Amino acid sequence: MKVFVALSVLCVAIATAQAEYNQYCYQSVAKACVSTSKSEGKIDCSARYGGIDGVLSDLQKYVNTHITRSYEFLLMSTHYANYEKNRAGFEKLLRGYSDEKWNNAIELIKYISKRGGRMDFNKVKLFNKTEDYNVVYEMNEIETLAMALDIEKDMAHDANKIHSEASHKNNDHYDPEVLQYIEEEFAERQAESIRTLAGHTTDLKKLLSGPDSSLALYLFDEMLQK
Amino acid sequence: MKSMLAIALFACAIAASSAAMQCNQTPLDMPMQWKDMQESCVDKVKQQIGEELKASMQYLAMGAHFSDYQINRPGFAKMFFESASEERDHAIKLISYLLMRGELRQDVSNLIKKKYTPAATTWASGMEALKDALALEASVTKKIRDVVKVCEDDERFNDYHLVDYLTGEFLEEQYKGQREIAGRISTLGKMMSKHSALGEFLYDKKLLS
Ligand SMILES: [Fe+2]
Repeated sequence: MKVFVALSVLCVAIATAQAEYNQYCYQSVAKACVSTSKSEGKIDCSARYGGIDGVLSDLQKYVNTHITRSYEFLLMSTHYANYEKNRAGFEKLLRGYSDEKWNNAIELIKYISKRGGRMDFNKVKLFNKTEDYNVVYEMNEIETLAMALDIEKDMAHDANKIHSEASHKNNDHYDPEVLQYIEEEFAERQAESIRTLAGHTTDLKKLLSGPDSSLALYLFDEMLQK
Repeated sequence: MKSMLAIALFACAIAASSAAMQCNQTPLDMPMQWKDMQESCVDKVKQQIGEELKASMQYLAMGAHFSDYQINRPGFAKMFFESASEERDHAIKLISYLLMRGELRQDVSNLIKKKYTPAATTWASGMEALKDALALEASVTKKIRDVVKVCEDDERFNDYHLVDYLTGEFLEEQYKGQREIAGRISTLGKMMSKHSALGEFLYDKKLLS
């Protein structure tokens, strides 16, 4: 019996040694506990694991993109709230997107921290189209919907990029938890808003081709208010 | 024959110039006397919108800092994230006010920058961040007072309503908020007097509840 116990203990010890996870945290803590100097007592207990290092920079950029987009949607919404435009439905729709981007930015920062990273507000996505920086947000209704659709697709594309970076099983950046997070928090909702906006542009295209686009826009805006 | 061709060309030109969709409406004429805000005052309010967004980014950076596992102060993080959203709400409230007064009919695109970078991104302790927050609020208060000054000192037009709104809503919130942060600094300071790590740990948990 005693031999059996000893043997099984040995087996566990071997198995543990063979396991790939490191013991930096335990070792550094154990060392710090017996150390007499404070500088030697540094512990190395990071929250990082999996493939977070491969996507961290893109996640940080994604936060900053969300903040910028939330401002853009706020400006678009503001335009529809002036006394001349006076389209409460468009105002509400665009303000909703602005709020959503802002709240997602905060959630993404929390997520980065959850995975042992730290937010970097200087990491910004480089837009390859220069016009992205010089857009005037005072557009007409169908142009606004088109712009909103393009922005949503662009942001979905960014999310897909993060997802694909964390999906390659054979490299160090494989991270199922990141995949799950992107799918749950972004993919589904983005598909929905892209479909909604595409549907809106279809409707408006037809309505604006009719005899009275002015009245059609009024009715469409009423619909958006609900 | 020649004139027929000319007519046909003319008809084609009309067909080409009138778009398939009619996307824009022509603006209507209306009396403009109701728009009585003065330009200097409007500019000052617009500037304040930027200040609120700057403050919101600063709080966002504080929230991010205290979320780091190496800092691990979820109570502080929660408080600062909430402040970040509150500052954003202040900016939106000012935008709504200008819209109510007939402003922002044009040049909306220049109203806010695309990016406000936080001035600081790390803090030595929760106490340091609270002190920074109090200083930030005090500077915002001073800036709101500057808006009030410009909007009420205009000899052509004293903007009573905006001034009332700023004092009643914004300054009210500033003074209450400042008192709250000052109280927190005092309480935390007293809790940290003997064992600062334990004091901050306990206070953080209190902020969570
Ligand atoms: Fe504020």
